Amino acid sequence: MPKSDKLIVKIENVHKAYGREQVLKGISMDVTEGEVVVLVGPSGTGKSTLLRCINQLTVPDSGKVWVNGVELTNPKIDIDKARQHIGMVFQDFNLFNHLTALDNVLLGLIHVLGMKKEKAHDKAMLELKRVGLANKCSNYPGQLSGGQKQRVAIARSLAMEPIVMLFDEPTSALDPELIGEVLTVMKDLAVEGMTMICVTHEIGFARDVCSRIVFMEYGEIIEQGNPDKMLNNPDLPRTRQFLGKISELH
Amino acid sequence: MEVLTVLVPYILRGLSITLEVTAIALGFGLFFGAILAILRVYGGKILSRVIGYYVTILRALPHILLLLVIYFMIARVVNLSAFWAGSVSLAIISSAYQAEIIRGAIQSVPGGQMMAARSIGMNRFKAIWYVIIPQAFRHAIPPWSNEAAIVIKDSSLVYILGVPEILRQAQYYSARTYKPFTAYVTVAAIYFLLTFITNRGLDAVERRIRIPA
Repeated sequence: MPKSDKLIVKIENVHKAYGREQVLKGISMDVTEGEVVVLVGPSGTGKSTLLRCINQLTVPDSGKVWVNGVELTNPKIDIDKARQHIGMVFQDFNLFNHLTALDNVLLGLIHVLGMKKEKAHDKAMLELKRVGLANKCSNYPGQLSGGQKQRVAIARSLAMEPIVMLFDEPTSALDPELIGEVLTVMKDLAVEGMTMICVTHEIGFARDVCSRIVFMEYGEIIEQGNPDKMLNNPDLPRTRQFLGKISELH
Repeated sequence: MEVLTVLVPYILRGLSITLEVTAIALGFGLFFGAILAILRVYGGKILSRVIGYYVTILRALPHILLLLVIYFMIARVVNLSAFWAGSVSLAIISSAYQAEIIRGAIQSVPGGQMMAARSIGMNRFKAIWYVIIPQAFRHAIPPWSNEAAIVIKDSSLVYILGVPEILRQAQYYSARTYKPFTAYVTVAAIYFLLTFITNRGLDAVERRIRIPA
């Protein structure tokens, strides 16, 4: 499904350790424009760490990361500027608790991008509409369901016009019946051509919309390929075993 | 009758001083306490440790002792009135307590809030200012209300420097009229009213800015 060969994310030999524990043992990966990559693997294998190494919320011990041609691991670059256009969605939403849904989306537009209030307001409402929550704009996070919170969080990221969206287990903290609404939003994004890297175990999502499944274990990429191959005919027995297990669950 | 016509007005002459000392101590204490707290949490290891020492020492000693020590230290360097020296001393003492209150409030804001703020491209300063502080501020009100009550009462300590606040006034009155009981009960009632009104006011602020859920 990649729409072009333009490289959006390039990860080269990234290592990360916490104390003695090697969480990432030399990960390399390329993601091209419009690709939807799903990262799967047992918990504690470094999927979330890898995601955070992309926007440098976690700084890798060694290795390099480029986003849209800019090397983010170069300490001289303005990382705040770079992050403006790398969307990130968290497992536990992390909406700003003291702000309404609208203000959550507005904050970055006004105080990061420096948009004028009126223009920002229109843009924020547009993004809330996109995730189907324009009518909840004046609700505080505490007044929203988990699914709604996550959709607001997605709108908050989209408002910054990201060139790539990182999803860190976006549905893991949700009640089963709220997962669908978040996945729908994510699917729409994928269809629109957004470049996405998702840590998720939603195999249905992977099967339907992703262009590549990357299977990680113990800080390494074990196997990767298109969903058809990975789900039906992987090279390694371990991949078959793991993906088979989570397919059964979903 | 004499209580209302003579005693109360006499004690109230010290009221503006009590209020001023309290306001200076709480205000400067808040300003410096907030800076200390932010630096303690976000300022790196060394700064955090130095501020930790500052807080530990100030909290370990009796306020009246600190008042005397700081007063005589300040008095050596600059020629300051007893009123200002006392107020500034109380502000320094309060800054240590307020630093702890604010530090706790900052740390009670979930770590994900900072991460989310940084992920949309905010720098550290903006993230602290627009995301952390507004939430920490709300968490800080109940313990801050407690500190305000303590500082109101601590304002009476400046009387040992000869500053004529309400307790000092009551003492003068009692010495002149040999009516210590009426004098001290009156001043007690004033302290009660001051703390009561302050705490109720802060409760109202807390309710008003509570995040709807």
